Amino acid sequence: MTLSQTGESRVRGYLYVLERSLRASVSRQLAADAVREVESHIRERVAESGGMPNEREALEEILRRFGSPSTVARAYSLEIILEEAEIGGRLVAVLRSLFHAALTGLGAFLTAFLLFAGYAIGVGFIAIAALKPVFPDNVGLWLHDGVSLGARFPAPAGVSPLGGYWVVPVCLLAGLSLLIVTHRLARRWIARVRERAGLRRAARGV
Amino acid sequence: MPPEHWQEQLRRGTLELAVLLAIAPGRRYGLEILKGLELTNLVLAEGTIYPLLARLEREGLIESEWVEGEGPRPRKYYRLTPPGRARMKKMSEEFLAVSAALDPMIARALGRRR
Repeated sequence: MTLSQTGESRVRGYLYVLERSLRASVSRQLAADAVREVESHIRERVAESGGMPNEREALEEILRRFGSPSTVARAYSLEIILEEAEIGGRLVAVLRSLFHAALTGLGAFLTAFLLFAGYAIGVGFIAIAALKPVFPDNVGLWLHDGVSLGARFPAPAGVSPLGGYWVVPVCLLAGLSLLIVTHRLARRWIARVRERAGLRRAARGV
Repeated sequence: MPPEHWQEQLRRGTLELAVLLAIAPGRRYGLEILKGLELTNLVLAEGTIYPLLARLEREGLIESEWVEGEGPRPRKYYRLTPPGRARMKKMSEEFLAVSAALDPMIARALGRRR
């Protein structure tokens, strides 16, 4: 059967919101394929519903049984992105998963923020180790305007960083250690987020 | 482990097996698979079957193709791959073994005649 113009608008609106939600976290190609499949499902259900004495009611029931666009998009992205990070542990996948998981609540946001900070500080340590041999007078431990470790360009007049090349192995070790620990914690946390997402689906009877 | 946690783990494992079993006889599209699952006690929000199918495809257990002209819209059909069939067989055997071992214990514990 053919939907009325209002019914068509409702379906197109649903698919539009779903595609926008999916594209926030999965590839464009995957989002397009998922939306095509969802549209096929909805059209099949509409065709099965026969005469539809009350089209609006029947269509809303079909969409309700399918789940809201945000629920479906979240299920896709959680299943795909978190799965990717949990199985592969590749850095880009884990970072994408962290970003996605951060959007699921305030506690998750703060945890993801701390983990991102861990990665950033780890990279910072390694950058200091790499820059010290190149800019020995600009990189190191500074006791000027408080205590700080890092690079200053240009170096403050008449002040040099304390210590010497010991900064290189110390920062390299600290950076690598921090990156490894942060990455392990991130993967573990992502696995927990995925588990909790599964529990929430179960609680909703999904 | 909280009961709902255990239940969810059981559901996820069983659902994956149920989907593989639903596809096992031949190619199936999403709604067809879903209708097969409606006959079981595995209650699903319809939209969540597709992310699961996507994951199984990513894992190489099933493969898909779009077919036109068999419904009001093109349908995406899924079929088991050889690794998927092997996984389905192994999971089925393990499920049956666990079920066979637990059935008499449950009957005894609940005081039911078998």
